[in-house]
Amino acid sequence: MPRSQDLDQIAPDDLSTNSTVPVSPIIKTESTPIIPPAPIAPSDPDISVNKPEQGEVINSPQFKQKIYNILGHTKSPLSSFLVRPDVFSFQERDIDEEIILVLRPHWFTNLSWILISIIMLFVPLLLPYVPILNGFPAKYQSVAVMFWYLITFAYAFEKFLSWYFDVSIITSRRVVDIDFNNLLDKKFSDAQIAVIQDVTSRVSGVSQTIFNYGTVLVQTASEINELIFEKVPRPDKVVKILSELRQQYHDEHDHR
Amino acid sequence: MMPDISSYLALAEKVFFILGAIIYLVFSFVIVKQTTTMSKYVHDIFNSVLITFSYLHLAFSFLLVIMTLVIL
Repeated sequence: MPRSQDLDQIAPDDLSTNSTVPVSPIIKTESTPIIPPAPIAPSDPDISVNKPEQGEVINSPQFKQKIYNILGHTKSPLSSFLVRPDVFSFQERDIDEEIILVLRPHWFTNLSWILISIIMLFVPLLLPYVPILNGFPAKYQSVAVMFWYLITFAYAFEKFLSWYFDVSIITSRRVVDIDFNNLLDKKFSDAQIAVIQDVTSRVSGVSQTIFNYGTVLVQTASEINELIFEKVPRPDKVVKILSELRQQYHDEHDHR
Repeated sequence: MMPDISSYLALAEKVFFILGAIIYLVFSFVIVKQTTTMSKYVHDIFNSVLITFSYLHLAFSFLLVIMTLVIL
């Protein structure tokens, strides 16, 4: 019997023996996997969980599981609370930076412009009842109606764009706030998890209390003193996640 | 001889509509530019749909200018 096989029989758990099965660096747990699929497959499968990237906070699979247990799932891509989205990305994102959560203002904040747009759609029906406009020729009226519908569409479209691209992002390294006020005014603010000092949320008013949305204030020790996530859904969960990430970062930092 | 006021008013209305349509066309260009710029910074699943809508809006605005020039 070869010497190596002999040793295998004596001490099968001895890691010094040559094995044909590669040892995975990731510890598999017995619990049901509920982490949503990763948007980008890791380029290097041998990344060790013990060697975190610079600024990376969630390297441990157990911690990831804990984070996604708190956040739950998101089904609709148009949701205001997107957990680990498959497609979403932003220009300043690092290649291996994982997006944990994308926040947009709560859908209830869209209600006013949706109602106004619907009312605007029906305004041309009132045209025959406005005597002063009856003096205009029919061809002028048809052009005016087309003009009105275009303005209505532009109004609704602009409001939708403002909502859709007003995003706050929590990644594995930082928090990001992207605001577009108009074409010439784009505001990008970010802060590393490490520099977050305090996270608070504020829910005020009837609608915010009923629909559970509010403002999250992230105070940092960086040049940008404060990041504000306005009218985001589930502010309590956002605060909890940021607190967990901050705690995890400090725990890892203290271990080193 | 007194000028025909109604013809002047009709001309003023036509100029008003044409100018309005041209200004709106410029505004539509701005919306297209805004949508493409925003999509460049933030990538999401509906970006291509939004860009398509902005170009459709631009096409209708162009049609409006044509309409005001031809019909009125």
